[in-house]
Amino acid sequence: MNDHLTLISQQLGERLVQSIHQENQNEIHVILRTPEDTGTVCSFLYQSLGYRLVTMVCSDERENEECFVIRYVFEPGAERQSEQEPQDIFVLVIAKIPQSADPKFPSLVSVIPGASVYEREIREMFGLIPVGNPDTRPLVLHEQWPEGAYPLRKEFDIKTKVARDKVKHQNYLTVEGEGICEIPVGPVHAGIIEPGHFRFSIMGENIVNLETRLFYTHKGVEKLAESMTLENALLLSERISGDEAVANSMAYCQAMEKIANVRIPNKAMRTRSICAEMERIYNHLGTLAGISTDLGFAYGSSRLNILKERMMQLNEKIAGSRILFGVNKIGGVGIDILRHAEELQTSSISIRKDFDKVISMLRSKSSVIDRLRRTGIITKKVAADLQTVGIAARCTGIDVDTRRDHPYAAYREITVSGRGETPKQRMAHRVEMQQRQGDAMARFDVRVVETIDSLAIIQELSARLGKDDDTLVLPGITERLEPFGNALGYAESHRGQTLHWLMIGKDTNSIFRYKVRTASFCNWPAIENAVLNDIVPDFPLINKSLDLSYSGNDL
Amino acid sequence: MPEMTSKDKKQPNRGGRDGILSDHVETISASLINSRDLIMPNYRGRVVVAPVSKNDNLRNGSSNVESQSALKKTCVTEAISIGRAGVMISGEEQDSILSVDNSKCIMCGRCQLSYPELFKMESQFATPARSKSEMIVNSPDAEPGDTSRKSYEKVGGDLREKIKKIFGRSLAIREVDAGSCNGCEVEITALNNAIYDIERFGIHFVASPRHADVLMVTGPASRNMEIALETTYKATPDPKIVIAVGACACSGGIFGDTYATTGGIDKVVPVDVYIPGCPPRPQALLYGLFLAVDRLDGLNKNT
Repeated sequence: MNDHLTLISQQLGERLVQSIHQENQNEIHVILRTPEDTGTVCSFLYQSLGYRLVTMVCSDERENEECFVIRYVFEPGAERQSEQEPQDIFVLVIAKIPQSADPKFPSLVSVIPGASVYEREIREMFGLIPVGNPDTRPLVLHEQWPEGAYPLRKEFDIKTKVARDKVKHQNYLTVEGEGICEIPVGPVHAGIIEPGHFRFSIMGENIVNLETRLFYTHKGVEKLAESMTLENALLLSERISGDEAVANSMAYCQAMEKIANVRIPNKAMRTRSICAEMERIYNHLGTLAGISTDLGFAYGSSRLNILKERMMQLNEKIAGSRILFGVNKIGGVGIDILRHAEELQTSSISIRKDFDKVISMLRSKSSVIDRLRRTGIITKKVAADLQTVGIAARCTGIDVDTRRDHPYAAYREITVSGRGETPKQRMAHRVEMQQRQGDAMARFDVRVVETIDSLAIIQELSARLGKDDDTLVLPGITERLEPFGNALGYAESHRGQTLHWLMIGKDTNSIFRYKVRTASFCNWPAIENAVLNDIVPDFPLINKSLDLSYSGNDL
Repeated sequence: MPEMTSKDKKQPNRGGRDGILSDHVETISASLINSRDLIMPNYRGRVVVAPVSKNDNLRNGSSNVESQSALKKTCVTEAISIGRAGVMISGEEQDSILSVDNSKCIMCGRCQLSYPELFKMESQFATPARSKSEMIVNSPDAEPGDTSRKSYEKVGGDLREKIKKIFGRSLAIREVDAGSCNGCEVEITALNNAIYDIERFGIHFVASPRHADVLMVTGPASRNMEIALETTYKATPDPKIVIAVGACACSGGIFGDTYATTGGIDKVVPVDVYIPGCPPRPQALLYGLFLAVDRLDGLNKNT
């Protein structure tokens, strides 16, 4: 922590930086003198120090600071994380964009391609122009949204019903040439899945280009949170993406607990981790089943779906909800799972046993392996450029896992995948990482390994549940909040890192700004690369193997 | 990476006796099949309001304006309402009466935590209904929940008979996500798993609205999905049935009516059956389908 602070402050110096200080335990705040220096500072962090850009948070602080503020959030890159002890820090580069008729900020896309989607989002939601970003297409609000209405500006009333502007058509990159044709798909798809539009340019069966267009499920979550109390926004955070309820609500609660500077009871931390792993398991089982369906092997999928149903019934038993709504509470958890500890043990053993059988059966089928291997490859370079997170990144050999890199809840006390104890184990893990191909097979295999890991974590943690006292919630957190206090909450959902930046309002039971960035937002851009040179029938398989949430992306 | 045990290596599983046709992979047990009707006691299925006599602190409404608004505010989706005086319950005139609107309730259980004497969460799921007014419940016995207490198998069997009678073929459903959080999709997908196995009742999900008899719509109808939902509805041949699945589709749910949402799919397309829940469990979905087919039966008789 301290060496990062000294390193950054020495290198950047007073010419660029107004102040640099540590906050909220693991955040380094770097406040820039002028927004023009954003590029210099961010490329120093990104290129020289090898940090990753994990989110960009814009907020409309014209009332208090007379400016818009953009926070560029970085974390140490995977190379640094695996070579040394994990470094649990986030660096926030804070740029203040003065209020003006057409506020602008410098774009980072030439250095960090993954910044593009964040900049487009800020452009639409706040009306700040990213100077230098060539992609000016609408992202969130689609083409019938009129110019000049920016939902996340404070003067925009959430109830506004904006009239539909004349229909302008989205600009898709078109591929021309003999034999090339386009297939538009969606937003209403053939299966029971969420809406999104995909436009393939194909040559025969081969995909030459794919354009995705998402945000059909945009529900104004971030704006809505600003009109809610802290308790109510917790329910909202669970519904950002239904199948990530535990991870998202945990990140939200942790942001608040960080602002209040409190440590929640041990039993609550273990309960959170156990439920987060149960969520990971039922979703991984569902995804593996989906992969099996999409490669045309119904038998494997129905076997795996049975296991998923078993997990969901267990969810209901411990949490009163089949998809684990209502687990987290501000300052702790709302459920006492101690009486189910034994059942958690026996179930994780029996599910592991059945799971192993299904997987070895699937692996023995050459038709399964043939479809998966070398399909939907994401190269390590593409994943790094697009700031991919979670399984999609780990499958290319980028070793990032929020549970290990920024331990939260009970992950401090257990060994999460890849954090071997001996040098030999660590080396074996690194070698194994380098062998990952970034194809659908890797995503299948890594999901299998992580499901097994999660089952082991549940066993380990549920055995320790009884050792704690019975406190489930640390009361009085909301009283400890300061107006405009802010912090970053984070968790590793089954899709990858989910980051929630929360700023408390003037009234400490309200929210000034709630920025959510789920793993899907980072990983969606990668799919356009993953499908290149594959055939159209492989698209559903590739899509499923990445397991992306539309709702978590669209908010 | 793949954890192959030495046993697996020696005896690769290549179909035949230990493969596809055998039950070598043991993932299902009788108890799991029976679990279709098993609802855990702590499942948050629906809210029941306490018998009116217990609502004493809510009587004399005028002096209690503050406590009334505090009570309403416990509910994030404003599902709780306090009726005016003069309502008759069991032949007795009441000063005030509580009611819960199941089309809005997201089953968070917060009302029970704050006012345990007034509200109780029950593990019985809230009953799907044909109109929104049927979904407002104000006393424990007011909800017509009897049919939903039938077993999954029984509802499914009745449904199969009805489908056979009306269509002489199976029933085709198109699912449309109009902006849901994907929680409802998790449950609708579960209908197709080997436990609930809805296909054996002659119900299957189809890939196009042009093949569908029923549209199952989830989500608060986001602004960006409004046109797609309308188009899908128009593409579905008559007679068609629209089912609103989940609190969001029924009323906008927690996402409400904002710049980005329309506050319920009935603002966009006509709805025939509402299935409450956040998300509704598979049994509730099946019962909602039963109501929908029943309605289609009615439509056919009229034409």
